[in-house]
Amino acid sequence: MNHQPFEEWLLNDKNLTPVEKRELNSHLRTCVHCTALSATGLALRSANVVAPAAGFSMRFQQRLAAQKIAERRRRLWGVIILVLSGLGLFGWFAAPAIYSVITAPVEWITVVIGYFLFAITSLQAVTEVLAVLVRVAPGFIPPYVWMVFVSALAGFGLLWIVSIWRFSNRAPQGVSA
Amino acid sequence: MNEETAWVTQAQQGSDEAFTKLVETYQTPVYNLCYRMLGEPDLAEDAAQETFLRAYQHLHRYDQKRPFATWLLSIAAHYCIDRLRRRKFSMFSMDAEDDEGNTFELPDPDSPDPEAETVQGQTRDRIQSMLKDLDDTDRAAVIMRYWYDYSEAEIAASLRLTVSAVKSRLHRARKELAGLWQEEETRIETERRPYESPAF
Repeated sequence: MNHQPFEEWLLNDKNLTPVEKRELNSHLRTCVHCTALSATGLALRSANVVAPAAGFSMRFQQRLAAQKIAERRRRLWGVIILVLSGLGLFGWFAAPAIYSVITAPVEWITVVIGYFLFAITSLQAVTEVLAVLVRVAPGFIPPYVWMVFVSALAGFGLLWIVSIWRFSNRAPQGVSA
Repeated sequence: MNEETAWVTQAQQGSDEAFTKLVETYQTPVYNLCYRMLGEPDLAEDAAQETFLRAYQHLHRYDQKRPFATWLLSIAAHYCIDRLRRRKFSMFSMDAEDDEGNTFELPDPDSPDPEAETVQGQTRDRIQSMLKDLDDTDRAAVIMRYWYDYSEAEIAASLRLTVSAVKSRLHRARKELAGLWQEEETRIETERRPYESPAF
């Protein structure tokens, strides 16, 4: 049996003219398929809206409060675990140094001062080299190279910031704006 | 600025009281969608609560250019679809069932016309049980179309589909429902026949 155009009318919930209505009714008298389509359409349109049991928002507030407590607890445990593991790692790496400080303090102080002096002199040397480079380099490097370099640096920085932002703002399924 | 927009703005600024107003306003549509999707009151309650919780946690993402109801129902629909997919692995029903596994509901004796109420109740049950046989996303589209009068464009935006995909899903679902309806009619006819008077 040919269901067109009646099936299309029923599926698209078309507003029918009186003539079309008559045609549809006479088709429905002979077509079981379109009758079922029409009946399900009517049933869907007349279906009721089910309301939740009384006190829904109260139950939501309780659930929200429990969720906030759980979240706070999770964060606290996170901080505790982070601090403890940091302290553990620090202890692990610092243990030999601490041991040497306790057993031979003078030797340790001499080593520290030596390192300190080495760092200061290295820093001074690096600063002087950089100062010379800054004075001399602009003469050799054309300005457009600087512009390209600075632009590339800014581009990478922007890309990095956008990636971090997008990653940290990713919503679960269905929670998009 | 209307009342709802004001509540949303206040809730976005951290007012729990304003969010509670939103919960009170939208609890029925959200619960109804969850109930129609999941088919069980307990699961629907849990899903509706979870929907509001997710909305609360991600309220800063809500774009006020879009209707709040659409955003909320979109969260509910996606949550229910996810839940149904997970449930397929460990499925069991908590519905009241008779010996043959059919769900049933007693008619309300206080209603003015108990017979009409029973017939309406049976039709509602039929639709609810037939909805269960639809694909999860098709079911969400049908619910949004017939319970919330959403346009195809609104359904597409909520379910992240194209308008033509929504249209074809709605058509497919309607045909599937009609097929199930027909099967049910045939079954009822066959059951009725043995008790009919030979005179008819």
